[in-house]
Amino acid sequence: MCHQTVSLIARYLEAHGIPTVIMGCARDIVEQAGVPRFVWSDFPLGNSAGKPNDRDSQRQTLALALDLFETAELPRTTCTSPQVWSDDDSWKFDFMNVDALPPERIEQLKREFAEQKATAARIKSGG
Amino acid sequence: MIPYIERTRTYYSTLGYPPYHWAEFEDVPFARPGKPVSESRLALITTAAPCRPELGDQGPGAAYNAQAKFFQVYTDSVEPVPDLRISHLGYDRKHSTAEDPNSWLPVARLKEAVAEGRLGGLADRLIGVPTNRSQRVTLEQDAPAALQACIDQQADLALLVPS
Repeated sequence: MCHQTVSLIARYLEAHGIPTVIMGCARDIVEQAGVPRFVWSDFPLGNSAGKPNDRDSQRQTLALALDLFETAELPRTTCTSPQVWSDDDSWKFDFMNVDALPPERIEQLKREFAEQKATAARIKSGG
Repeated sequence: MIPYIERTRTYYSTLGYPPYHWAEFEDVPFARPGKPVSESRLALITTAAPCRPELGDQGPGAAYNAQAKFFQVYTDSVEPVPDLRISHLGYDRKHSTAEDPNSWLPVARLKEAVAEGRLGGLADRLIGVPTNRSQRVTLEQDAPAALQACIDQQADLALLVPS
């Protein structure tokens, strides 16, 4: 939901004259929403600004974003970071993949998600 | 690349929920910068939340913490770097521990860019935006508030970093 939120806000800011760049990892969500400038890192969610404890990775990612303000000529410009998260691509299989979960874990997730929704609704209503 | 839209559709369907309709637009607004980045003031926009210890574990690797969610746009000083957390968000907890905030909140790297002359300036306050399933709420409530915060910060550019 993070990526959709910033995509909608970037579109609003642009429509009111403020140029934006999004740094993110969920490419399909951002590109489907449609944004002006996007730096995509093919990293696990939570690492939009570069690899943890890796200053060079973070500096390179930010450099791409700052450059994109000046180089993008058209909306929907996506810059793909050349960085690779790991030699092992198995992390791409795991995230929210029900094929990777046993039935008992899915039942547990159903209960947890219902509790989370109830908690969020309670906070939102001020209760 | 992970197909997040397809993954989430299957995931929530399996958990018994109807499919979510992700935002989709054909037209995309586009504002050109009025001056070079090296002369521009940039506002950082994040989906992270201020740490509130009374709301339970929000530390690195914490389980999803719905208590830590927030529902209004906020601003916070970038000096010193504020203690923001992402326990209320659906990041990849198996492959990312959230131990280094610089991987999702590039305040330190932005300050370096200013010091090196690549960026003209960083707005004094970052802008926090809530994540909401309702696109209407984001567009009608949170986006105008984020715009006003950018104006208040006299920002020429905005960098948005989701988690």
